[in-house]
Amino acid sequence: MGENNEILLSVKGLSTHFYTEQGKAKAVQQVGFSIKKGKTFALVGESGCGKSVTALSIMKLVPYPPGKIVSGEIIFRGKDLRSLSGKQMRQIRGDRIAMIFQEPMTSLNPVFTVGNQIIEVLKLHQKKTSAQARADAIEVLDKVGIADPAQRVDEYPHQMSGGMRQRVMIAMAVSCEPDLLIADEPTTALDVTIQAQILDLMDGLQKQNNMSIFLITHDLGVVAERADDVAVMYASGIVETADAKTLFAEPLHPYTQGLLKSLPSLGFKGQRLNTIAGSVANPLDFPKGCKFHPRCPLGITDRRCQSKEPELKEVSDGHFVACFKAAGYEE
Amino acid sequence: MTDVVKDKKIVAVKGTSLWKDGLRRLKHRKFAMVCLVIILAYFAVTAFVYVAEFFNWQIRAVMWTEEVGPSYQPPDVKYVFGTDIFGQSVLRKTIYGAKTSITVALCASLISILIGVPLGAIAGYFRGVVDEIIVWIYSTLSSIPYILLILAFAVVLRDRTLFGFRLTGMVTVYLAIGLTSWVGICRLIRGEIIKHKDREYVLAARSYGSSNARIIFKQLLPNVFHLVIIDFSLRFVSFIHAEVILSFLGLGEADKPSWGAMINDARIELARGVWWQMAAATVAIFFISLALNIFGDALRDSLDPKLRMQ
Amino acid sequence: MTAYIIRRLFYTVPIVAGVLLLTFVLFNLVGGDISLEIAGKNATQETIDEIRHEYGLDKPLFLSLDSQFVNHFKNALVFDFGRARDREPVIDKIKRGIAPSLSITVPMFFGVVFISVSLALLVAFVRGSAWDSLTLFICVAGMSIPYLSFILFGQYFFAYKWGFFPIYYTPGLSLYEYAALPVLIGIVTGIGSNLRFYRTVMLDEMKSDYVRTAFAKGLSTRKVLFKHVLKNAMIPIITRVVLAIPYLFLGSLLLERFFGIPGLGYLMIEAIGSRDYFIINAMTYISAILFVLFNLTTDICYALVDPRVSLD
Repeated sequence: MGENNEILLSVKGLSTHFYTEQGKAKAVQQVGFSIKKGKTFALVGESGCGKSVTALSIMKLVPYPPGKIVSGEIIFRGKDLRSLSGKQMRQIRGDRIAMIFQEPMTSLNPVFTVGNQIIEVLKLHQKKTSAQARADAIEVLDKVGIADPAQRVDEYPHQMSGGMRQRVMIAMAVSCEPDLLIADEPTTALDVTIQAQILDLMDGLQKQNNMSIFLITHDLGVVAERADDVAVMYASGIVETADAKTLFAEPLHPYTQGLLKSLPSLGFKGQRLNTIAGSVANPLDFPKGCKFHPRCPLGITDRRCQSKEPELKEVSDGHFVACFKAAGYEE
Repeated sequence: MTDVVKDKKIVAVKGTSLWKDGLRRLKHRKFAMVCLVIILAYFAVTAFVYVAEFFNWQIRAVMWTEEVGPSYQPPDVKYVFGTDIFGQSVLRKTIYGAKTSITVALCASLISILIGVPLGAIAGYFRGVVDEIIVWIYSTLSSIPYILLILAFAVVLRDRTLFGFRLTGMVTVYLAIGLTSWVGICRLIRGEIIKHKDREYVLAARSYGSSNARIIFKQLLPNVFHLVIIDFSLRFVSFIHAEVILSFLGLGEADKPSWGAMINDARIELARGVWWQMAAATVAIFFISLALNIFGDALRDSLDPKLRMQ
Repeated sequence: MTAYIIRRLFYTVPIVAGVLLLTFVLFNLVGGDISLEIAGKNATQETIDEIRHEYGLDKPLFLSLDSQFVNHFKNALVFDFGRARDREPVIDKIKRGIAPSLSITVPMFFGVVFISVSLALLVAFVRGSAWDSLTLFICVAGMSIPYLSFILFGQYFFAYKWGFFPIYYTPGLSLYEYAALPVLIGIVTGIGSNLRFYRTVMLDEMKSDYVRTAFAKGLSTRKVLFKHVLKNAMIPIITRVVLAIPYLFLGSLLLERFFGIPGLGYLMIEAIGSRDYFIINAMTYISAILFVLFNLTTDICYALVDPRVSLD
């Protein structure tokens, strides 16, 4: 009761490194956040900042070699996932925590029917007969909004459009009614018109099953519309986290501010788009001190920002930020 | 792209070309670098033999005809690799054999690249009838098993006078292997050119009036050239091995040592307990093949654009 | 499907025609007038002319309906390969050689495929580990040793020195006796490059997105490999395996030569030594046809295994 009921997944001090031939890439460093039950938590950041690796780390699907989780706790429903055996983890994957990916074209096996792939999940986690599983598969295809599910269930992925394939992925993911759905850039590869449909679908499913959604995206528009809580990630670490309203109303970290400023808005005419100067940090060679300081208007000349790394600290209720220059930040 | 923030300039990171990036990655693979050294060593030996022959230097290592000891002397401190039936040093024969085998491989590679690359480029770029014809030619050639094809060419070309040139020994071998091996590289180049020719940079080149030849040579080929290098390194091995088989079948120069001939001799020698000629040649071939295979693989991985970090 | 097959068969005609053209050019043009060789050193002009007439070499090369060129094609169509140097019909020689060749190549084939694919699956399990690297190294090392050396080595130790197997084929030997050692050697040499290929195929599939999805669903590595990866890997595997079948009929040239097995490979080597163009001509033609037919078979298998392939 109480605390544990509210928080479904709590990540503390997660670090994942990749050992490549060019050296050690610290893709994720000391990342921590909490996902509440039935809510949507968004993780935002540029490409290469470590968002996907964070998601894969939660699922313990980081490809090894070359990647490895080196530290941290991933507490899901009271248990630390890192302490689970391979078999126990497999029972959770697909059943309690499900994940969908960015490219629906290649994420489905091309040589098996769509129905086969959904039935596979059902039979794996629930003791059902083939007939029951097939009926369930048709039902879940219907739930995700695919017309003619009884026919589509025997079709192959290449016979479907991108949007439909993503619906199938979602169907596979929610077929066992998981507690948490991790969605890694689910709409990036889709047309704009389809994007809204897919996100609506996910919202609907969330309400139906009280399912939490861990949404990974670089699209702030999506975050503004759908997320309850947000964390902003830069160069392997979380730089700011708050509930969505607060983050958009009062961004504290210069990076967040830069991101929000760079959104083109309909009102402006004839002005250049704002950009954040410089380019994404190289995970093999992060800057010393605050990783953002070389691109930060506030920190580029500040000695403290150049030498020390700010920790993520709570500045007001539920609002955390990692910046020496942020309002209300006490070292 | 620079941006001035207060007094500091932020400069964008310089990009690197596929080659520079690839070579950098390659250098990190210690194992591959060792293999490169081995390969260069073999080439150095070959070059050395050529030079010594040309200038008629009387260096012991190259004088394989000299009788250094009794017939069929097994390897020991004095005769490091032993001697053959004529008392000649197997070590010296092995060194000379490097020249033979590597020359075969080089010539055959050259011939197949000189035929395969242009044909592949033309077929892939112009498509249409030209493409159909070239594809027909190489489909025909590849319908015949490789060995059979080489043998057929070799047998027919042996001791013939073609266009006034008398074809003897090794030249037959070079031609036979080269003329039959261009198909692989041709297919490869053709496939890549087809993929690239509709890319934007080609359209751009055409839009400012580049001629076809220019586009092929200056735009397309540089982009696919790395495949030629990789193919070359891997095919080199197969040519060395092909020389062995052709030697066995009686083709090539019978009076000069080659690794194939040395192994071939072993057929009779083994029954008499003489194993060192075959062993020497096998070991020599083993190391160059291994080195080329590993290096070729490393090269392919390093030049793979999908694995680039920057 | 039938329409596709017919269309493809249509495309094979120019290829086979090309092969016949090539053999004609090689043997009748470049090869020169072999009647001199057949007749021998001290033959009279009469003998030479007789021979030329018998082999049809006195006919015009191209320009008549009865020219050598036309006859070349005509004979091929009806599989009339004429007589070999020793006057025996080529067809008979070929028919005699098939069984011994197959008795070596077929077991070799099955052995290599079975072992390579199984080992490749095993290696996919332990990918990235020291076992994986070791296996790869052994494959490459095996591929770096000349084929001839393997044969000589095997023959010397296992047959000659230790006497496990007979050195040569003699007609009285049973199938097991004369085939065992060559097949063994053939399998060992064949595993190297095949295992490397299948390993690459498996590992490439393992890197696919759908494998990531499969793991995310909670499937074990075993299930992912044997169900998801294997079916996708089948496509390149089948291609390679089916395309190897024509070579089964040619026999293993070197193995047959070394062990004295009277198959088609041995036949060809002898033909090369004695410059018997007729035999080489026939074998080239037959293997081309086999090759082209099995290429077609591969495409059909493709369509059966990969639902994305449609045959229109």
